[in-house]
Amino acid sequence: MEKSTDDPDAGIALAGRSAADPLALAALRRHAGRAYWLALAAPLLAGVLLVAQAAELAGILERAVVAGEPPATLVPALALLALTMLARFLVGAVGERAGIRSAERIKLWLRSTLFARLMAAPPSWADSRSSGALSTALVEQADAVEGFFARFYPAMIQAALLPIAFAAVALPVDWLVALLFLVTAPLIPVFMALVGWGAQAATERQAEALSRLGGRFADRLSGLVTLKLFGRAEAETAAMRAAGEELRIRTMRVLRIAFLSSAVLEFFAALGVAGVALYVGLTFLGLVGVHPGLGYGAGLFLLLLAPEVYNPLRLLAAHYHDRAAARAAMIEIARQFGDDALLPPATAATGSAAPANGDILVAGLTLRTPDGRRTVLDHLDLAAPAGAAIAILGGSGGGKTTLLEALARLRLSDGAITLGGAGLAVIDEATLRRDLAFLPQRPRLFHGSIADNIRLGRPDAPDADVARAAITAGVGLFADGLPDGLATMIGEKGFGLSGGEAQRVALARIYLRDPRFILLDEPTAHLDAATEARVADGLLVFAEGRTLLVATHSLALAARMDEVLRLAGGRLLPTPLGARGGARPARGSGVIA
Amino acid sequence: MNAILSFRPLFRPHRRTFLTALLLATLTLAAGTALLGTSGWFITAAALSAAGVAFNIFGPSSLVRGFSLIRILARYGERVAGHQATLRFLSDLRAWLFERLFPRAPLSAAGLRHGDLVSRLVADVDALDSFFLVAVAPAVAVLAIGSIVAGLLALWLPVAVLLYVPLLAAAAFAIPIIAVRHLGASGRHAIEASAALRTAALDGIAGHRDFVVNGAGDRAIASVAEAARRLGRLRTDLGDTVVSAATIAQGLAGLCLVVTLCLGLDALHAGRLGGPTLVGLLLAVAASFEAAAMLVRGTARIGMGLAAADRLRAIAAMPPAVADPAMPVPLPTGSEVAFRDVSFAYAAGRPVLEGVSLEVAPGRRIAVTGASGSGKSTLVALLLRLADPTAGVVTVAGADLRTVRQADLHARVALLSQDAPVFMDTVRANLLVGRPDATDAGLWQALERARIADAIRALPGGLDAFLGEGGRTLSTGEGRRLCLARALLSDAAILVLDEPTGGLDHETEQAFLADLGAATAGRTVILVTHATLPAGAVDQAWRLDAGRLALMEETA
Repeated sequence: MEKSTDDPDAGIALAGRSAADPLALAALRRHAGRAYWLALAAPLLAGVLLVAQAAELAGILERAVVAGEPPATLVPALALLALTMLARFLVGAVGERAGIRSAERIKLWLRSTLFARLMAAPPSWADSRSSGALSTALVEQADAVEGFFARFYPAMIQAALLPIAFAAVALPVDWLVALLFLVTAPLIPVFMALVGWGAQAATERQAEALSRLGGRFADRLSGLVTLKLFGRAEAETAAMRAAGEELRIRTMRVLRIAFLSSAVLEFFAALGVAGVALYVGLTFLGLVGVHPGLGYGAGLFLLLLAPEVYNPLRLLAAHYHDRAAARAAMIEIARQFGDDALLPPATAATGSAAPANGDILVAGLTLRTPDGRRTVLDHLDLAAPAGAAIAILGGSGGGKTTLLEALARLRLSDGAITLGGAGLAVIDEATLRRDLAFLPQRPRLFHGSIADNIRLGRPDAPDADVARAAITAGVGLFADGLPDGLATMIGEKGFGLSGGEAQRVALARIYLRDPRFILLDEPTAHLDAATEARVADGLLVFAEGRTLLVATHSLALAARMDEVLRLAGGRLLPTPLGARGGARPARGSGVIA
Repeated sequence: MNAILSFRPLFRPHRRTFLTALLLATLTLAAGTALLGTSGWFITAAALSAAGVAFNIFGPSSLVRGFSLIRILARYGERVAGHQATLRFLSDLRAWLFERLFPRAPLSAAGLRHGDLVSRLVADVDALDSFFLVAVAPAVAVLAIGSIVAGLLALWLPVAVLLYVPLLAAAAFAIPIIAVRHLGASGRHAIEASAALRTAALDGIAGHRDFVVNGAGDRAIASVAEAARRLGRLRTDLGDTVVSAATIAQGLAGLCLVVTLCLGLDALHAGRLGGPTLVGLLLAVAASFEAAAMLVRGTARIGMGLAAADRLRAIAAMPPAVADPAMPVPLPTGSEVAFRDVSFAYAAGRPVLEGVSLEVAPGRRIAVTGASGSGKSTLVALLLRLADPTAGVVTVAGADLRTVRQADLHARVALLSQDAPVFMDTVRANLLVGRPDATDAGLWQALERARIADAIRALPGGLDAFLGEGGRTLSTGEGRRLCLARALLSDAAILVLDEPTGGLDHETEQAFLADLGAATAGRTVILVTHATLPAGAVDQAWRLDAGRLALMEETA
């Protein structure tokens, strides 16, 4: 795949109407690769071979049935017929294979682009969304695009060109039949469009229902044990059945319309074929005198050609669902990922500044909840000189996490934050991630060994470093008891590890690195006092000479920091922490104003 | 195939709709074949009778029109009936599967990853959707029509039967079966690759912060791209196999047409066969291959459906973690809890609990503390019978848990687990899980006791506010307290609270614990915690250390 994400023209807007515009979907075509023309051209060549095949078959039958030629003289013609058929099948196969490959390239581009976009967005972006629905968009909805390019688009080209080409071929044979082809064939898409309008709306609703069902399954499955223990098995099963039933009703609504439109098509096709059969038959019987010289071979040729005139349209109708599904999928993708999902990230480049030292300075930081309803931080000031160790206490939902995330540039903030003298907004991303370590409140462990998970901090870390980080973080306290030690595999959500253990693994990630700034969000939330003390020991050793901010509820942990601040009413206030806190020497850090 | 057959009981309620669809599918193919055959015969007969022989045009032409009308109507009916029946079956299948998941929870113990499970439920069930339509219906139709056309050939061109039957059988059955076999492995791999892509995506979504702060965003992107590329390769293979199979089947149909033509020309020349009959037979033979083409085109979906059925059956056949007794005894009233010499090990030789004995009298509150990994959560799991002890007995109200129905036990004991979820639903729906018949006043009372009422009141919509996945419009501490409210709301006589104050600040924690007696009025409470307990919060404090339980202090 080309690096098309870097190309500013590569993105396409999915916004509102343009998403419903087939052009938006068709614009993905540019990512199909060069072989796509083969997928479009091969069926046309197969159409030409089909005309030849019909003419050859009609010729053979005329010579045998009307002229009474012996079979022996027909052998060359029979051989040619067989060869024509073979060529037609092979050409068709080549086209289909090209179509499949092109569609897969498009899907790969789409998935990579969407995921890159997701990773470029602030992490809080995904919080308000259902991860089940997002992953459904990335897996299932992206799959739905395949049918459009592998089947519908080639079928559309055929439907546009082949009926007219066949009519043109029929013209020298019999102008009246050619006229019949020309008049009936274009009528069909008109009727189908009428029926299709309804189908589009229904398909969109169905895609939405499918995505909701996926999200609901994921959600209820993560809480399966809770539901079971509260005796909700039957009620939830019934709710699931109802959700499935809703999907069935929506699907049937889509399908009925799709079937109706193909029935309309079949009706016209049958009318056309029957018309040709009747016209040819009556001409032979001398009951119709438009074209008295029509030969048997020519008549049979027209009869064999008649169904083929309508076949490209029938094919198009069969794949109409693919188009509707692809469009609905694109709309659902736009709904999940945003209207500009396929545009290159607008503000990916931040700046090239780098922190010169370990000072953290916050002046007048104000942050609201994403919906703008509540002010979480209200003109907050903070000055933490290089090497300071500061605890931040505060009520649940008081904004501790918000403050740390803003400092880690995981949340957009105005220009109130500087790290080492550089404005946070203009620090180079790679530099920021190298200089700043952050422990999320609920770190995620990935499927793999404990060591693999620790190595997220530094992929090329040798085993000895990983082992040392594990010991410092207190991972050794539980990993030593596991069958494979650090090589023990842990599941997607860190199965087998408790919340406290997962947090220590994430802490070990930080110990593999060499950050200037360390921001920890409740590093000891799930730990008993003894373990907490061990973890704090390791932390203070590692944090020596680095700037450390710890949001915590634990007074024991807070007491070991140089200074304790309390976050209340959106501001930070100095807090003497009983006798112990007051006794510790402050290292000149503090709150401005 | 066996997996598909094991779903038979689910097909049974929709038997009549399925049969109707089968009948209509056969009728459609029959009408199509008859239409082409009759047209060819009619035109040829008309051409030959141009000499002036009287020819009744009304019979054949009305047959042509009749067959085409029958074909259109039968096709519409077949599709509606077939899809209707299939979708009902799928709806039943989903619910059936969900029913089976509950007794098998916690599923992670069976080594199933979360992303894998979601993929199984949604995608695998959908993979079965077209099984009937692309496999069963065309197979039956091809059998019926193949027999009729073979019969006609036997009547007029007997030698052709010897070729027609094997060629049609090869195109309609042998090729699809070979293709399905061939697709079997790749189909399974494709489903797994699809699940792997979903997992990689979920890792990136739920672990966004972890990747970004470790400067590993590019690695997440690369692993999703790799998973997508692998899925794309497998799907290309699948597509290629189908195209090859379809081309071979087309070739067989072409071969059959040419050979029938040769044999027919010979018979025509020898005067054994009339021209119109030859043309009619020829076109009927060609039309009868249409259903074979449908079967071949469906092989990819048939293969995926078979693989999905295997996986679904594997989940359904998993042994439940624990089973209800054959003859359950009613759970006596009462709220005392006892562990008598209980041991437990997940794997032999690695005991988690050893000889634990504990008695909690009705209405008493006890605390269990201990280091992470000392077996506290296992103790809780045994009390709720999420697992059975390897030795010893756990009783509630004097009854051995293994002798009572799990439903009775769970109605008696309510749990706030460490990983209690906030569901993607309204606040109200989240709470009602604890007690479906609770009134609003009851909900508010529970919220007050869990010290979350003010935060809920501040949400737009209050009780009807919709919470995002993982309850992330609430902070972690608020989500925790909502789950606590859910547990308090339940009318269970025994409450098990595993770290109820995790994520709470110290003041709130101490206030909640001091208030525990009032909040749980009269109920037996087992509190698993790290917090320092204020005086009077519990009657007894126990400590678990490396699987052994010891009494620390008696405060009442």
